[in-house]
Amino acid sequence: MVVFLRKFLSQFGDVSEAEVEMLVQCGEIRNYDRKTIVIHEGETEDYLNLVYKGLARKFFMSNEEEVVTQLAAEGDLISASDSYLSGKPTHYFIETIEPTTFFSISIDNINRLYALDKKWQYFGRMILTQLLSDLERWEIDRIKLSTKERFIKFSETNEQLFHRVPQKFLASYLNIQPETFSRLKQSLKSQT
Amino acid sequence: MKHEPKPNIADYEESIKKFFERFTLVEPKDLYQLVPYLEIREFGKKEIVLKEGEVENYLNLVVKGMLRKYIMAGKKETTLQLATEGHMIHSETSFQTRQPSEVIIESIEPSIVICINAENTRKAFATMENAEHISRLLIAYMFLKKDARLVNQLKLSTRQRFLTYLDEHPHMLQRVPQRILASYLNIKPETFSRLKHLVVKRSSKSTAKD
Repeated sequence: MVVFLRKFLSQFGDVSEAEVEMLVQCGEIRNYDRKTIVIHEGETEDYLNLVYKGLARKFFMSNEEEVVTQLAAEGDLISASDSYLSGKPTHYFIETIEPTTFFSISIDNINRLYALDKKWQYFGRMILTQLLSDLERWEIDRIKLSTKERFIKFSETNEQLFHRVPQKFLASYLNIQPETFSRLKQSLKSQT
Repeated sequence: MKHEPKPNIADYEESIKKFFERFTLVEPKDLYQLVPYLEIREFGKKEIVLKEGEVENYLNLVVKGMLRKYIMAGKKETTLQLATEGHMIHSETSFQTRQPSEVIIESIEPSIVICINAENTRKAFATMENAEHISRLLIAYMFLKKDARLVNQLKLSTRQRFLTYLDEHPHMLQRVPQRILASYLNIKPETFSRLKHLVVKRSSKSTAKD
C-alpha cells in the first residue's frame, strides 16, 4: 500500500515518506465483491476512493437507460464527487465490475489533512484539477470526435481496459450504439 | 460624442465580494489581499476573447455583459457555457496545463471582466495565506457546475431541459441569440422555436387571467 500511495501522490508533486505514512493512517481498505453497488443515487458520498485492485464504473440513469461516465481501474480515483463537493445527494451510482479493493479516505479525514498542512491542500487542489480536466475531456470528446474516432482513441489509449470492461459498459461510456460498437470491434480485429 | 469613463476595479468591489460570498469560508481580508493582482478587461460585442489554439492566460469573472464558450466540431459550433454577471469563464484545462485551448471564448454583449493572469496567480499563491484554500474551492465550484450541466443534458428530456433552464434563467431567452441558446441546451433550432412559442403562449394566457 505504501508503494502504491507514494506512486499515486508523486504524480502531483514531491512527496515525503512521512506524508505517505500519514495518508496510510488516514485511510481505510474497503473490499467489494463484483457487481456491487458502492453508492446509490440519492445517497451522500462520504469517501474519496482510490482503486487499489479491481475495476468499477460510475453511471447515472437517464429514463431507464444507464449512462456510464467513468471507468476506474488500479490507480484511478472514483467517487460521487458531485455529492462529496457539495454535501448534497448524488446523481450517480458507483458499481464494481470486478471484485474491487478501494483505499478510501473519509471526507472528515481529508478535512483534517487540509487543516494540518498546506501541502495537503496543494494535493487536494491538484486532484480536483485532474477531475475537472477529465470531465472536460469527456465532454469535448463526445462532441468533437466521431463515433469511430472515439472508439479508436479509447482502444489505443486504454488497451487494457478495452479488454477488461464488458462491451455494453464501454459502448455506453463512449456513447456508441451496441451494434455499431460490435461492428467497429470486428473491423479492428480484421485489420490486425 | 460622450466619452465613457474607463472602468475601474474599485467600481466592481461589490461584484467581487458577492462572487466570493458563496464560498462561506473566504474572509474579506483574504479578498483585499487579492485586489493588487487583479486586472480589468473590456470587450465589445462579438469579440473573440480566447482563440482556439491559444494558451489561456486568465481566470475571468464577468461583472458586466455576457460571454460564451464554444467548441468547433468540423464547421458546427457547440456552445458549452454562457456566463453573465457573477459567473467565471475561461478555459480551465488550458489555464492549468498551459496547453493550447480547444475551446473558444467570445463576448455576446459588450462585456467587462475582472481577471487574474497566470503569473499573478502564482505570485498571489506565494504571498496569500489562504490562496490554496480559495483556489480549491473555486475549482470545486467549477467542477460542480460542469458536472450538473452534463448530467442535465443527458438526463432530462428536450422539453424538460428547455423548461428547467428558463425557470432558472428567465432573462436569458431575451438576452441570448436563439441559435446559441439552442446549441447550449442541445436542442434543434426548429424544436427550440416550437418550445418557445409554447412558453410565450402560456405566459400570455396567465397574464390575461391576472
